[in-house]
Amino acid sequence: MEMIEVAIKSIIIGALVGIGVGAGAARMFHAPKAQGMGAFRTLGELNACAGDAASHFSFGLGFFFNAWASSVGAGAFTQDVDHRIIPNWAAAVLMRKGRRPEDTLHDPKKMAISGGIIGILVVSFLNLTASAIPESLQAIAVHVLVPAANLLINPVMPVIFWLAALDAGKRSGFWGTIFGGAAHLIMGNAVPGVVLGILIGKGVDDSGWNKVTKTLLISVIVLFILSAFFRGFDIQLLESMYITPPEWLLDFHKLLGLEVK
Amino acid sequence: MTTQTESLEKDMYKTFWYADWSFPIFVALLSAGIFAGTHMYYVYKIGAFNDVAIVAMLEAGIQGAGYGAAAAFGASFLFARVLEGALVGILDIGGSLQTGIGIGVPAILLASGITAPVENFILSLITGALLGALVGYSILAIRKLTVGQSNSTFGADIMMGAGNASGRFLGPLIVISAASASIPIGIGSTIGAAIFYIWKKPVAGGAILGAMIFGAIFPISLE
Repeated sequence: MEMIEVAIKSIIIGALVGIGVGAGAARMFHAPKAQGMGAFRTLGELNACAGDAASHFSFGLGFFFNAWASSVGAGAFTQDVDHRIIPNWAAAVLMRKGRRPEDTLHDPKKMAISGGIIGILVVSFLNLTASAIPESLQAIAVHVLVPAANLLINPVMPVIFWLAALDAGKRSGFWGTIFGGAAHLIMGNAVPGVVLGILIGKGVDDSGWNKVTKTLLISVIVLFILSAFFRGFDIQLLESMYITPPEWLLDFHKLLGLEVK
Repeated sequence: MTTQTESLEKDMYKTFWYADWSFPIFVALLSAGIFAGTHMYYVYKIGAFNDVAIVAMLEAGIQGAGYGAAAAFGASFLFARVLEGALVGILDIGGSLQTGIGIGVPAILLASGITAPVENFILSLITGALLGALVGYSILAIRKLTVGQSNSTFGADIMMGAGNASGRFLGPLIVISAASASIPIGIGSTIGAAIFYIWKKPVAGGAILGAMIFGAIFPISLE
């Protein structure tokens, strides 16, 4: 019974995701005239396969095994299902007869249809076969993929983004460092902070302190203050400085339903 | 002739598949699927559209360790990507939808004790679609307010480069973790990575495949 339930839900989810990813990926080729969705790396990789159906297929396949192992080990599809597997396989299906990318990969309608079909197949397969994989392979996923992914998220990605910010000029480096450090303290990962720092730094480099960049800076600061408060960072800060947090502050946290121990 | 193709192109960008007004519809479809994927994970422990490390943050919350990490990480990614997506013309679905809407929003809802949108399949589809449409419309609004007014790309090229560079780290990192897991798995992973490199395929894929083949022959325990 649960199998059937999972299968039906998988078909619906796969179709929705596939149509969205397919159309979004094709629209990327028309950015910035049309608003696309996907990722810069997806766009680059789709271009790197140069309209060759076999390359698109095998590129997707490499990540498919990764996604499969991760689904088995941790129930997580990986972001690659949307970023790499669906767009590349959808493109491979459309190009099987050696058609030009301009008529296939760049056409949102065709990509939405083939993306929807691939989405249904991939999502159903991953959801239904996860329990069928032997335990020894699950162990690999847990012992190999999880530590590697953890290393990538922290510290590899923060460092790469941070260095990119430092290399991008004084303003990006400065704001990237400030918000990167604050983001790691408050959110446990520096990447969002560094990205916001680059946005502000480059924005000011290109167009100066105008209404847009000022709003950007203020909203980022507000975002940081709010997430610091809701994670009880203020209390932890006081305690790690050996200051007893004032009663009113603790009450204020309690008032908003977030009791701090 | 040139004016004719130009006007043809102009017309094309007004049709459903290319127009601005249809963008929120596509975001809503994708976002509904991703949010329902989180529902699948919550109920069946399979099917979240995200990487192990990020899903682990949500899992930590489900296990009772607090949703703060997932909520803050997801929400800040969503915020940054919506801004960036509008400014550069490509919305990064990894940060905005998969992490922001797929992990951040459920974490906020669950932390506030609202479980229905995550527990119920139909509700999860509706919640995802509404949030997606909201993201789509915000992007169009920001686009009108910013790109129309300034000529900055807000460092999109820098982040593109950094994003690409970090993807490349995954292959070597997998070989390193494989080598720490056990000697045979490390050997398999190294051979796999080397073969894929020669074949001009992503090294990460070969590293995983090699680790899995050798791990099937010389199993290690799950503990």
